[in-house]
Amino acid sequence: MTRLVLAAAALTMLGVATSPPAEAHHSFAMFDPSKARTLRGTVREFRWVNPHVSLFVLADGGTGGAPELWAVELTSPGNLTRLGWTRKSLKPGDKVLVEINPLRDGQRGGGFRKATLVETGQVLQARLIDIEKKGEQ
Amino acid sequence: MRPASRLLPLLALAIACPAIAQRASDRVDPAPTAADWQAIARLPDWSGTWSPDIVDQNAQIRTNPTPWKPDIQRQVDHWTAEEAAGRPKGLLIDCLPHGTPTFILITHNALEILFSPGRVTILGESDGNRLRRIHTDGRAMPADPDPSFHGYSVGHWDGSTLVVDTKGILPQVYLAVSEAVGIPNNGDMRVKERIHLVDPDTLAFDLEIDAPRVLTRPWKTTRLYHRKRQRSHEIVEGVCRQGDFRDATDARGNAIFAPAYQQDGNILPAPNEK
Repeated sequence: MTRLVLAAAALTMLGVATSPPAEAHHSFAMFDPSKARTLRGTVREFRWVNPHVSLFVLADGGTGGAPELWAVELTSPGNLTRLGWTRKSLKPGDKVLVEINPLRDGQRGGGFRKATLVETGQVLQARLIDIEKKGEQ
Repeated sequence: MRPASRLLPLLALAIACPAIAQRASDRVDPAPTAADWQAIARLPDWSGTWSPDIVDQNAQIRTNPTPWKPDIQRQVDHWTAEEAAGRPKGLLIDCLPHGTPTFILITHNALEILFSPGRVTILGESDGNRLRRIHTDGRAMPADPDPSFHGYSVGHWDGSTLVVDTKGILPQVYLAVSEAVGIPNNGDMRVKERIHLVDPDTLAFDLEIDAPRVLTRPWKTTRLYHRKRQRSHEIVEGVCRQGDFRDATDARGNAIFAPAYQQDGNILPAPNEK
């Protein structure tokens, strides 16, 4: 028993650095983990629903281009609640910087990495590894 | 009419109609007694919310790979390569249940476990139908249970370990190692589990998966769940198909769900949305 738990703990520690952000319902492999892109813009909509919360951001276009609407997928409401989020963590009109892993096919969608609220500087993250940590009873 | 004569027509009907006669042998479970409820207090404490150890799920797959048959292994290799290339197969995007044992093997959401007399119930999150009923009332496994996603489960307590036997699992239910890599079990799958605490707040599911159509031998593997008692970790309602819709208002001003634009399970801005 103890050996099993110790082995699991060791693997957990190893996994911290290597595991990609894990999500429910579908794999996130369609998002390119080797590319990070930061959307600077305004929250259009924050859909607090299963299986994936989604965030719509009207992002500044590049070099004078027109604004672009992006859809960003996160984990489930249950998992986000465990990480301290609420359905009001982001609201339409909030100015945000949202870091994503973009879809590989070039469409305007991405997997969420983190968001920064411009007005307050608050950083929101959604790493499942922070839920599955042991302890904190 | 006196009571006895009132029953006569029913008796005649029961004799004439085998279906009704058969119902007469339908087992009626007695109401639980105070002693039955008190017995639950002597079971191990599995209250709280159990979060899957996802890092360990992945480690288990790497260190204790599934013994797929060679032709099945070729399919698995294909889907593994597709996922690595950024084209994951969406095993669960139709929102049907994971089923047994995939629910326990790969879920990324928490679960809770309820004890009641004669029953252990495992409730998952991220859908109302991630639900397992394990009968612990001493009944025998039916000879030919109706196939279902989670199968028919009977269990008993071996000390503080819940021993569960499950069969009657639909052949379409995936035996999956991730949300993008899995193969239908194709029938005759049987799952044996020993569920027990390995430390005060870690629950282990020791699984033995016998899937003779796709595996060369029964696969023994373990999944760990960590207990949380904070209210922020309580299970919340999660309706998988809700993500297929967005909030909208109809012409009469009623709040309705309208289909959300998506491709291959990915939520995207609609083409005409600016």
